[in-house]
Amino acid sequence: MVGLTPLSAGFSLPFVPGIGGVEVTVLFPLVTFLLILAFGRYLPFKGAYLGIVSTGVGFLVAVATVIQLATGAGIRHETLHTLVAGVEGAGVTLTFGVLIDPLSALMLTIVGLISLLVHVFSLGYMNAEGEIDLPRYYAALSLFTFSMMAFVISDNLLMSFVFFELVGLCSYLLIGFWYRKPGPASAAKKAFLVTRFGDYFFLIGVVAVLGTFGTAQFAGTESFVTMAETALESGDASGINTFGFGAQTWFTVIGLLVLGGAVGKSAQFPLHTWLPDAMEGPTPVSALIHAATMVAAGVYLIARMYGFYALSPTALSVIALVGGFTAFFAATMALVKQELKQVLAYSTISQYGYMMLALGGGGYLAAVFHLTTHAIFKALLFLGAGAIIISMHHEENMWEMGGLKDELRTTYLAFLAGSLALAGIFPFAGFWSKDEVLYETLIHALGGGSPVLFVAYALGLLAVIMTAFYTFRMVLLTFHGEPRTDAAEDPHAVSLSMKVPLVVLGVLSVVAGLLNMAVLKSVLPKDALLLERWLNGETVGGEFAEGALTAEHYHHVLTSEYGAGYTAGYGGLGEGTLALVGGVVALVLAVIPALVAWRLYGGADPDPHMTNLGSLRTLLMNNYYQDEYQVWLARGVTLPVATLANKFDQGLLDGIVDGSGGVSLFAGGRFQRLQSGVVTTYVALLALGLLVLLLVFAVTGGWL
Amino acid sequence: MAVAPGWYLLLSAAVFCIGLFGVLVRRNALIFLMSVELMINAANINLVAFSLVYGNITGQTFVLFLTALAAAEVAVGVGIILVVNRNFDSIDITDAVTMRW
Repeated sequence: MVGLTPLSAGFSLPFVPGIGGVEVTVLFPLVTFLLILAFGRYLPFKGAYLGIVSTGVGFLVAVATVIQLATGAGIRHETLHTLVAGVEGAGVTLTFGVLIDPLSALMLTIVGLISLLVHVFSLGYMNAEGEIDLPRYYAALSLFTFSMMAFVISDNLLMSFVFFELVGLCSYLLIGFWYRKPGPASAAKKAFLVTRFGDYFFLIGVVAVLGTFGTAQFAGTESFVTMAETALESGDASGINTFGFGAQTWFTVIGLLVLGGAVGKSAQFPLHTWLPDAMEGPTPVSALIHAATMVAAGVYLIARMYGFYALSPTALSVIALVGGFTAFFAATMALVKQELKQVLAYSTISQYGYMMLALGGGGYLAAVFHLTTHAIFKALLFLGAGAIIISMHHEENMWEMGGLKDELRTTYLAFLAGSLALAGIFPFAGFWSKDEVLYETLIHALGGGSPVLFVAYALGLLAVIMTAFYTFRMVLLTFHGEPRTDAAEDPHAVSLSMKVPLVVLGVLSVVAGLLNMAVLKSVLPKDALLLERWLNGETVGGEFAEGALTAEHYHHVLTSEYGAGYTAGYGGLGEGTLALVGGVVALVLAVIPALVAWRLYGGADPDPHMTNLGSLRTLLMNNYYQDEYQVWLARGVTLPVATLANKFDQGLLDGIVDGSGGVSLFAGGRFQRLQSGVVTTYVALLALGLLVLLLVFAVTGGWL
Repeated sequence: MAVAPGWYLLLSAAVFCIGLFGVLVRRNALIFLMSVELMINAANINLVAFSLVYGNITGQTFVLFLTALAAAEVAVGVGIILVVNRNFDSIDITDAVTMRW
């Protein structure tokens, strides 16, 4: 009965009044991590069951939290530990605390669910395949879940940063799980270093926030978000230290610094290069990283402090442009990839680009919605890919597959549901969320926002076309046509532990869009937009509204004079109609390339049409030489600079230190010759010294 | 008929210089020790002289202490010379140089 203790503790929780103690959700994976680390070898299935139980209980607690929040319990915002207490509003206050509000409760549920399913899936993917070192795998998975959950419930930026880094460490451990092979080892290093590069800016941002506001709290009247808003609204920035800049300029700088961390973790251009390489890790890990944890952390961070970003039109424009460009850029590369997981990797980058686009375009709701649906369908696609790879005896090249749909019925249906969601086909989850992303960007662009929003929107629309194409190309090449190899002829059966997560996620991919059917807002009653009501805090107490964390409040800041100054414009169509038109356009743009893909790759034995692309294909296959140019940056620029700095350090700085030591040693060596051991010499020296002293006195005293 | 203090100082300086000369040029440890005694006594002469000139007993009291000190020093010094003699088979102070760097 391993894991009984967390189980019983977990079941007692929903009876705790209010939503106190929800943070224990986070502790289950932490305790599991320690247990597996210590006793993993002796646990059944090398710790898999313990992990399943603990993430399962964690998931249940998260669901209970959501239910409690939905039924009127207030949010929980409490400082648990004060590291450094500022005095009387001066100085810096550093705390650790929890913030359970609709956003974090939603994310907690997603993380719990995906983590649970990944654990279950791992039974089939890792244990059944006889992998070695499994305790290390499950321990890292638990630590990963813990870090992400703790990141999600952080109530201040510093704590977020700490767990942000821990998430990065866990991804390093898991991507490099098969560290004896050179590929995973170097991919893990790359993931760590590239995201660290972004985190460096995040760290400076944290320090800037603390230096400016003296606090890094997300919520409450004393939060830095509220302080910034008050300063801009009243035009009086006297309470805060803006280091001589204009308040809004300085907030933009801080926002962009923190954005650096999000760009690294959420794999936005130009720091996206680590993500495709991260496919070297075990496939369930890819599902966890790309759906719910590491990559989601960046977007979640921006959403968490969206009240701050809503104050700066410049920062929002940058986010929108980076997001839109990434969505487009990554989608083009996904068009020509041959490996199943590579297609999914670039689609992940592209989809997170959409979320950034939504955040920059003023669509907080849309971003959170897309984060939710994407977590579901991308986890599904990765787990589906994992099932395919296992059944194909670890073959990842889609040209070696084909015709799998009859043999792998369940996998096919689930994978298809995920693909339709990814491509944004009505009525699957992705359609609703992706459309809302585009819609929000469009109305704010039409409302006279910066022209950058139009560019970002256009890039987003282009990405819709490509997404549909590469998704269906992937599905057709994998499942349709005739089997192209012996392995595809006779694939492994997919075990039950792999089928269950696929089915759960498959069903969710179909229905998750019901959360917020904003496209149909003209025909639906207002109450039907569940996610909007949820994030507006309509179900929770008044404390939430005061905390300025509601989507409504963000919208208010976004459209205010002192904030970003966004206005919504509908191009003369009216809100509901424009939403409908946008939805139809996006659907058409998704269906046409899907049909083209069907035409090109739907036959019994499809041709590799991408060879017709010529040099463009070479460019795309090489990922626009992004890796090459980054390696060139490292070797050609950073290395010489570092060498120079090293020379300076070794030569000049160390030279001064070493030199003073050397001179002392040399001088000491010479002076020690005076110490002859002959007493007479000493006396002579003494007498001489006395004489000299007398002479000095004589001269200065005026006797001579 | 009191002697002028300058004469005492001259005597003292002369005795001191003799002592210093002995210390600088002689190699026999015993002579060396005696020369040191001369220098101490030069200081004593100064003390007694000033004590007399100023009519203050303090200087003379110090001379008593210094005499005791000199006696003790001789005891230690002669002891060291005996050990040096045992180790180096001579009491030439330029021989006992093994403890330098």
